[in-house]
Amino acid sequence: MTAKLSSLERSERRLGIALLAPAFALLAGVVLYPIYNLIRMSFSENKLTEPWLAKPWIGFENYAKAMGDERLWEATWHTLLYVIVTVPGAVALGLGLALLANQPFRVKWPVRLGLLLPWALPLVFAGLIFRWFFEYQQGLVNNALIWIGLSPVNWLTQEGPAFFAICVAIIWKTSSFAALVLLAGLQTIPKSLYEAAEVDGASKWQQFWEITLPMLKPAIIVALIFRTITAIQTFDIPKAMTDGGPGNATETLAMYIHKTTIDSLDFGYGSTLAVLMFIASAILTSIYLRHTRRDPSAGRH
Amino acid sequence: MRERRVAAVTIRKVRKVFGKVEVIHGVDLTFQDGEFVVLVGPSGCGKSTLLRMIAGLESVTDGEIDIGGVVVNDFAPRDRDIAMVFQDYALYPHKSVYDNMGFGLKMRGASPSEIAERVKEAADVLQIGHLLDRRPGQLSGGQRQRVAMGRAIVRRPRVFLFDEPLSNLDAQLRAEVRIEIKKLHQRFGTTIVYVTHDQVEAMTLADRIAVLRGGVLEQFATPDDIYNKPASKFVAGFMGSPPMSFARLTASADGKTLAMPSGTVLPARGGLVMGGLSGGKSYDAGFRPEHVKLGADALPGGVNTTARVEILEPLGAETLALLTVGGAVLTGRFPPQAGVKSGDEVTVSLGAADMHLFDTETGRALVA
Ligand SMILES: Nc1ncnc2c1ncn2[C@@H]1O[C@H](COP(=O)(O)OP(=O)(O)OP(=O)(O)O)[C@@H](O)[C@H]1O
Ligand SMILES: [Mg+2]
Repeated sequence: MTAKLSSLERSERRLGIALLAPAFALLAGVVLYPIYNLIRMSFSENKLTEPWLAKPWIGFENYAKAMGDERLWEATWHTLLYVIVTVPGAVALGLGLALLANQPFRVKWPVRLGLLLPWALPLVFAGLIFRWFFEYQQGLVNNALIWIGLSPVNWLTQEGPAFFAICVAIIWKTSSFAALVLLAGLQTIPKSLYEAAEVDGASKWQQFWEITLPMLKPAIIVALIFRTITAIQTFDIPKAMTDGGPGNATETLAMYIHKTTIDSLDFGYGSTLAVLMFIASAILTSIYLRHTRRDPSAGRH
Repeated sequence: MRERRVAAVTIRKVRKVFGKVEVIHGVDLTFQDGEFVVLVGPSGCGKSTLLRMIAGLESVTDGEIDIGGVVVNDFAPRDRDIAMVFQDYALYPHKSVYDNMGFGLKMRGASPSEIAERVKEAADVLQIGHLLDRRPGQLSGGQRQRVAMGRAIVRRPRVFLFDEPLSNLDAQLRAEVRIEIKKLHQRFGTTIVYVTHDQVEAMTLADRIAVLRGGVLEQFATPDDIYNKPASKFVAGFMGSPPMSFARLTASADGKTLAMPSGTVLPARGGLVMGGLSGGKSYDAGFRPEHVKLGADALPGGVNTTARVEILEPLGAETLALLTVGGAVLTGRFPPQAGVKSGDEVTVSLGAADMHLFDTETGRALVA
């Protein structure tokens, strides 16, 4: 880095900075400033329900309150559960879809549609569809259960089943993004490796374990990271399916923040919660990233 | 210590159709136990397809492939007891050299100690023992090529298949590895089927060469015969560096001599005089560069004629001269300091005794 730059490199760099400047300005306006504002707000009392209180600086009071906030910890725990279940779930299902899409089918559109549809669908819409699926009276799932001779389940009003139903919806909705990332990864694996393995005597299953999976590792990690970041922010689907119910049983962090700020209009405390969520998200992502960097087989070979 | 494991390979009336396109049109070939066979031909002639059918990587549309007396058409590659070296080497990038070489044995359930022993043995032969812990990405092209060969050797198959294994190496390395491959063949005595479009590789390595053209076998013979008795104008023009050059000649009424457009008359050689030539018919006469020599009477039995030097290509030990001789363009091998320059009119000796004649329509050689 200390090496002297030639005049060409210097002018190139200047051009680069000039070209990026508008983007940086925009980024500062719509990202950095709001973040700064958020952090500032998290140290103040700011309730729109009690505007006469002004917005006093209260230091770490909101943070102290958060530590003892039972409902926050519950929401954190739920969010963590969604992460633990839906991240591997979506990536595993995505891998299955990607492997399917990578097959030389003569008619390609059904697989492509199956791959792109969940991705193109708005989250809330997916949530509403699954809410209807798991509906007690007319839902598809219960109809199917009755049809095979089982009794219907009150999916969305019981803690366990509701969690299960939400996870199914999230996995379905988010697997296609993972599948797209993994499909791109699959297509970079040279065909001759499989031929060499075939000659070497590896079965299809061994080829999957010995070639596909290790070669796909960088793509899998990318998919896991992206999926984790969005899983931490889980909001739309449980919002549409149960609105956090029964009780707060399926409420996520993002939903709790939303309720605190939008429903209860407590902007100060809501900001504190948002900052805490941001920190948790940053920690998780950095763990992933560190893991990727340490592994020599990931990335370039 | 090691039993010699080889097998003969027989290809019977094999055809290959991709979709609607037939790319191999009924090829018959028999490779003996331990024979080094080279498949050559221009790009797209079906060499790789034929090799991949032997490997089992491509299905056989019609006909039979027989390895060691067993028809293997329906065998998976792993059950054919073959090993293949791919053009791009196809090394597993995430595995060490050791694991790459041992992979085939591991998949066949060999014990770790056996794998270790055989990998070490192969690594010694190829002098890559110091590379075993590296990954393919940390190797040079030549080293990767060796590892790819090592992976094939370790398995001790009955047939080795090579698909242009040297095409990604520079000229010097190519010559080195070529010798190495020849040594390996002498050492292991395994049947080798080797695809290349480099005719120098074909000539230097092969016990027998199969020349393919457009999915059809043109000739299957020893390098010597391919060079000295080409079965067709195509083989004659394809093999040899520089290749044979051709002139269109017309037979005299009695069929005993041939005339160039300029009027120079060449005697028809040996057996061809005995009714081999039809009077008045045209033939393509082929001359190897060494049979077009500078100077009158430079070749025993040669016919002197004047030629115009068009282009000179000095190669050090000799100079290749592109000449116009009586309306035809021929290549001659001239001594290095011949003192001629392009544009000169010179006298050359045409080796009429070594002239090859081909039918102008079928391209088949007239056998003397
Ligand atoms: N999978 C395939 N589908 C359709 N056509 C194919 C396929 N593989 C090969 N071909 C065609 O078959 C013909 C022979 O191909 P092949 O790869 O055997 O040629 P080759 O002699 O090995 O050429 P090269 O020297 O360029 O490697 C070519 O015309 C090619 O386009
Ligand atoms: Mg080829």
